[in-house]
Amino acid sequence: MATKYGGYMGKVLMLDLTTGQTSEYPWSDEERKLYIGGKTMAAKIIGDNLSADTKPLSEENMLVITTGPFTGTGAPSSSRFNISTLSPQTGILTSSNCGGNFGYYLKRAGFDGLIIKGKSEKPVWIQIHNEEIVIHDAADLWGTYTGHVQELLDEKLTRPNGKPVKSGKIVIGPAGENLVRYASVVSNERLAGRGGVGAVMGWKNLKAVTVSGNKEVPIFKKTKFENLNYNWIKYLRNHPLTGDQLPRMGTAGIVSTMQMRGQLSTRNYKYGQYEDYEMVNGETLAETCNIVNKGCLSCPIKCARTVEVNGKAVKGPELETLGLLGGGILNNNIDLINKWNYELDELGMDTISAASTLAYAMEANEQGLWDNGLEFGKTDNISEVWENIAFRRDIGDELANGSRWLSDKYGGKEFAINSKGLELAAYEPRRSVGLGLGYAVSNRGGCHLNGGYMVLVEGLSLNVDQQTPHGKADFTVVFQDLMEAVSSCGQCLFTTYAFFPPPIISRPNSWYTKAFCKAVPFTGPVLRLLNTIPRVACIHLPIIFNQSKALHLITGMPVTFGSFFKAGKRGYTLERHINTRFGIDRNSDTLPKRLTDVPQIPGDDSTRVPLEKMKNVYYKARGWDKNGIPTKKTLRKLNIKLKTKA
Amino acid sequence: MVTIKLFGTLRLKTGCKVLEADVSSVKEGCEAVAEATGLSYKELKQCIVVVNGTQTKFSAPLQAGDELALFSPSGGG
Repeated sequence: MATKYGGYMGKVLMLDLTTGQTSEYPWSDEERKLYIGGKTMAAKIIGDNLSADTKPLSEENMLVITTGPFTGTGAPSSSRFNISTLSPQTGILTSSNCGGNFGYYLKRAGFDGLIIKGKSEKPVWIQIHNEEIVIHDAADLWGTYTGHVQELLDEKLTRPNGKPVKSGKIVIGPAGENLVRYASVVSNERLAGRGGVGAVMGWKNLKAVTVSGNKEVPIFKKTKFENLNYNWIKYLRNHPLTGDQLPRMGTAGIVSTMQMRGQLSTRNYKYGQYEDYEMVNGETLAETCNIVNKGCLSCPIKCARTVEVNGKAVKGPELETLGLLGGGILNNNIDLINKWNYELDELGMDTISAASTLAYAMEANEQGLWDNGLEFGKTDNISEVWENIAFRRDIGDELANGSRWLSDKYGGKEFAINSKGLELAAYEPRRSVGLGLGYAVSNRGGCHLNGGYMVLVEGLSLNVDQQTPHGKADFTVVFQDLMEAVSSCGQCLFTTYAFFPPPIISRPNSWYTKAFCKAVPFTGPVLRLLNTIPRVACIHLPIIFNQSKALHLITGMPVTFGSFFKAGKRGYTLERHINTRFGIDRNSDTLPKRLTDVPQIPGDDSTRVPLEKMKNVYYKARGWDKNGIPTKKTLRKLNIKLKTKA
Repeated sequence: MVTIKLFGTLRLKTGCKVLEADVSSVKEGCEAVAEATGLSYKELKQCIVVVNGTQTKFSAPLQAGDELALFSPSGGG
């Protein structure tokens, strides 16, 4: 449906692989105003169309690929796209966000989103160029690895004059084809890694999608936006996190800080510090492996690393991979992590879930629950394990189902480190209890970002008391909602780190930073006011948070910081509302007992996650009932209405 | 002697990973780092100070055998 707003192309394409038919999905301006785009828009589409009976691997399930109004406008770090679907790994709604350039080219083709349902009889790939949509046979592509298939697609897209068509691509590898429950979707070298979106694509017999076009994204007030954008980029480039640490060291730069704070998951989360961390930290990666810093289209932060594997320059590992494939399995060889990271990307698998599932299997073997030949510190057979998982051979066939499935079969639930079936990232939450809450209540399962990323203030950037539960639930709600709204705009969440003014981050020994850190646990009542009545913030926050003003200047919608925040709140509760259809409630918001019942430091009871206590405050702050279900009043207040009844 | 380690961008800027110094406070330790690496004392005063694994004050004393770690601010992943 055409739109009066800037920032949107006004069309959402729906494609049924069973019939080969395409149509335009009706998406109104009212919905654009309420749900913005990205993961929130995708949640609304899924909530309107899928019922409680829908199975993740079924013709009814949809892959909903969305952009946001920032995508393609030149706003910083805004080339992202989102894939949402029912996850074969968790059985609930998942959303996986990815950089690269697919989102940008999808809008150049004239679409804000792409919905794929049904199932093709045989392997296919889809080519979209402006309004022209062609479904091609993919027999010659099936079975190829993610890097190679993108090279083959480039050859197919080359014009008769030999010039390549500039395009965005998403592809799956063998893991997606073989329905590994944590298979990813790959775009360039970036991955929509979490929740098994690649398995849904594989089940639909869809190997790849390419998009290209020559349309321009309209902007409501172009000159004013360009002025704002100039200063915004300048601010990000001068910020100590987005302008110094992330560009210089990437996400790997926080391994040493996590070690210092006791937050580096070690030996399958048994400990929070790894004695050989200096061999697998960001400093070592930067000094001995990194060739060049890279970044996504339109990104001033440029957090990606490039390393050499088998004589080839490839994407380097992120912090999560360094942590989980380093101390997580007691491996101190950084070259092996680089190699495994590359292999997992090529096979098309999420490194977090693959690594954490491997660590579970090692511990299950050690405890005599499952004789599988995997041992902590034994690294010579790991590359073979990845291949076996991707092709579902030998023990790989079971490892491909993830740690929750394995612990259901073999036992050891207390050390199967997942929440709602999704494995946790490398941050050990017993020394960041706010993040512990976030992992447990996160809509897509054990995710640090969807969980609100409290570890940023609980030790990484600031020194807020890591162990106190006070104030953490209210802060978690604020961070989750802000990140939800930013993500819905199509922007990278790393831009939100600049929300903390530079002096607070760069002067940890100053009186004001210390005072801020001391005050955080006592800010609950103030934050509760913002959480309850977002409209009190009827302004734009200058300098530190440009998103709300940018959304207004790009789209023309009336936006304030309060309404922007409320849109994030709406999105977060909408996702929860949808998940309640699939049985999610308070009893699903859990962590493994290792993290809630066993102190990380023996004898120090504060070094475990006091989850139940924080959940009570969290549900209240969200307007959900004691069982974790959004109340009718909250749904009404947030204007959440779904077409398919729960 | 006190072992002084540099982390984050402090290390990347200087190429200095670790040094030993005969100092009795964090302040003196930072002065020793400034002299050895060329980093400004002002910059070092702004970093996160960790003694034997615990974040502490810039004015904290040191004893022989202590490990002083200096971190630049870090963000997320």
